Amino acid sequence: MISTSSHPFHQSPLPPPANTFSSGENSMLAPSCVRFRKSGSFSVAATSCASVASRAPVSVSPASFYEILGIPIGATIEEIKAAYRGLARVFHPDVAAIDQKDLYADEFMKIHAAYCTLSDPDKRADYDRHLFPRRRSINLYSGHTCRNWETDQCW
Amino acid sequence: MAEQQAYTVASDSETTGEEKTSSAYPEIAIGIDIGTSQCSVAVWNGSQVELLRNTRNRKLMRSYVTFKDEAPAGGVSDELAHEYDMLSGAAIFNMKRLIGRVDTDPVVHASKSLPFLVQTLDIGVRPFIAALVNNMWRSTTPEEVLAIFLVELRAMAEVKLKRPVRNVVLTIPVSFSRFQLTRIERACAMAGLHVLRLMSEPTAVALLYAQQQQQSAHENMGSGSEKIALIFNMGAGYSDVAITATAGGVSQIKALAGSTVGGEDLLQNLMHHLLPNMDDLFSSHGIEQIKRMGLLRVATQDAIHKLSSDISVPIDVDLGNGTKISKVLKRTEFEEVNKEIFEKCEALIKRCLQAAKLEAEDVHDVIIVGGCSYIPKVRKIVTSICKREELYSGMNPLEAAVRGAALEGAVASGISDPFGNLDLLTIQATPLSIGIQADGSNFVPIIHQNTTTPVRKEQIFTTVHDNQAEALIIVYEGDEKTEEENHLLGYFKITGIPPAPKGVPEINVCMDIDASNVLRVFAGVMVRGTQYPPTPFMEVRMPTVDDGHGWSTQALHKTYGSTLDLVTVQKKTQH
Repeated sequence: MISTSSHPFHQSPLPPPANTFSSGENSMLAPSCVRFRKSGSFSVAATSCASVASRAPVSVSPASFYEILGIPIGATIEEIKAAYRGLARVFHPDVAAIDQKDLYADEFMKIHAAYCTLSDPDKRADYDRHLFPRRRSINLYSGHTCRNWETDQCW
Repeated sequence: MAEQQAYTVASDSETTGEEKTSSAYPEIAIGIDIGTSQCSVAVWNGSQVELLRNTRNRKLMRSYVTFKDEAPAGGVSDELAHEYDMLSGAAIFNMKRLIGRVDTDPVVHASKSLPFLVQTLDIGVRPFIAALVNNMWRSTTPEEVLAIFLVELRAMAEVKLKRPVRNVVLTIPVSFSRFQLTRIERACAMAGLHVLRLMSEPTAVALLYAQQQQQSAHENMGSGSEKIALIFNMGAGYSDVAITATAGGVSQIKALAGSTVGGEDLLQNLMHHLLPNMDDLFSSHGIEQIKRMGLLRVATQDAIHKLSSDISVPIDVDLGNGTKISKVLKRTEFEEVNKEIFEKCEALIKRCLQAAKLEAEDVHDVIIVGGCSYIPKVRKIVTSICKREELYSGMNPLEAAVRGAALEGAVASGISDPFGNLDLLTIQATPLSIGIQADGSNFVPIIHQNTTTPVRKEQIFTTVHDNQAEALIIVYEGDEKTEEENHLLGYFKITGIPPAPKGVPEINVCMDIDASNVLRVFAGVMVRGTQYPPTPFMEVRMPTVDDGHGWSTQALHKTYGSTLDLVTVQKKTQH
């Protein structure tokens, strides 16, 4: 569970919730997508996530920030904010049952990281440049979720 | 009702973490706003927030506890014939300014002119606080005073609500350190209360604002009609600023800024202005001197209140012993005397706007709350920085924080409202940066100020000596560059670093703030090319410090010097 030799510091080797939740780098979409489908109240997220999932097999293609927020790639800033708030309504630990707080906290942190990048025009442009020309998979993906990617002053 | 027993001491750890109540329907947590000067309690009554009134039909109660021969009595139940009785030496107040502070803290030093005993030895331990009972200084602690007060509040709430009260949401200043939060939790535990959440005052106001916005624009639920509000809260003890982005009942805290300037500073500056040799006159804390200090305090306080509506006010007070103050005080004079305080308020608001990366024009509503919000100069500062004529008028400045806390109490208790009035969520942010001492005596933040929580961040450090086998992790909270200006949270040692030249070992320090706002620090050595660290990682729940902060860092420096130091490894770009 401690980092692999190829990416020693990408995943925090530490808190139990991370380990219980993501057994591998590319498993992240699966549980979140299942939950998107379950939550009927946010149809935007549910449909776009489902469609992405049906286009690309979940097990191979990791979630992009757009997929995490359940928004189209050309989404406007208003759409990004609305999607973030909608997902916060479902996945923020404050709305979770007491025994699921840690799980929800992990999920919310992912949603927030996606929002952080996509709501900042510069970071989004940078992210898009990496995302589109060579849509490689796991290495690229893990690079993007690496904590170093986020600036520290984002919300 | 077994747990209703008032004054029980429970362990600190008991007060954090969630608990389920055993009753059939959930207990609605009450909201408590413990102000430096006044205090109030509110609760969701099933359809709206209601402030509870004490036996004298008051919603706002003075925050103080009077020590007597028998049992101490607080401002909830106590009947004072006059304000002066509070200033006889027997009453302790301003505990919110004293709690969790050491005797080297300037705020504690400023409290030495209060009409009770605050004694400092200036070595970084807790100050000695005492009330005058039968001409003797009887010692107490801010935690104990707060606990006695909370017991009264709890009893009052239980009578009003006709049920036991255990769960509470308390409002706290933005600038409180995590160590101070543990002291508040300790006081609550002593009073038999379980802290469901500690919420900074402007964050509570932001939640009330979110609810009001949602009520007025219900059709825009979840859509992009985002409103930005700036909240400035100035009470007797603290000033806070928050900037929130609100839409569809979700209040997202964008930035927070807090400071220890408050009405108490305005009052003390004016007292010094009226009686320049005040400190000398009152330094020995004799009974007559305390009485005089009380007279001056009341006269000055009255003058400040009157200056909110009048341009000038006559002050006539006979302090006895030939000391008389008789003059007409102009509002401009009061503002000049407190120029520095007002400048600090200005800087605080500007800092918050900057941290939120917003211009004054981006703000839709400017909300000003707290006891000092009636002071014309304070309103003028806020309106001029935010470049507008009008301030938001939808809230009672003295009730906004407690109402927000009561809303949070209902939401956090899992209560729902058929009309959607509790369809609310606050996305919180950290008020202060959290980091460790590294790169010499610098403070290296790992979780930065205004980061959305829950959050997990890590940073890699390395050794400063060849074959350094151990490293000291000293955790601080704050926003100053050097470590000693920040709040110490705790320290521990990493051992078993494999022998290597300096700069080679990689020490990973990760900080995690979970959904219950608990901070954990994880640290250990990583060796490249291996899957497991050579020694187990450390997991330390912070804060670990108890009293004596000043001593402990000095002792650490004296004992270890720089032998166990760390330096940061430059952040790597993505792979």
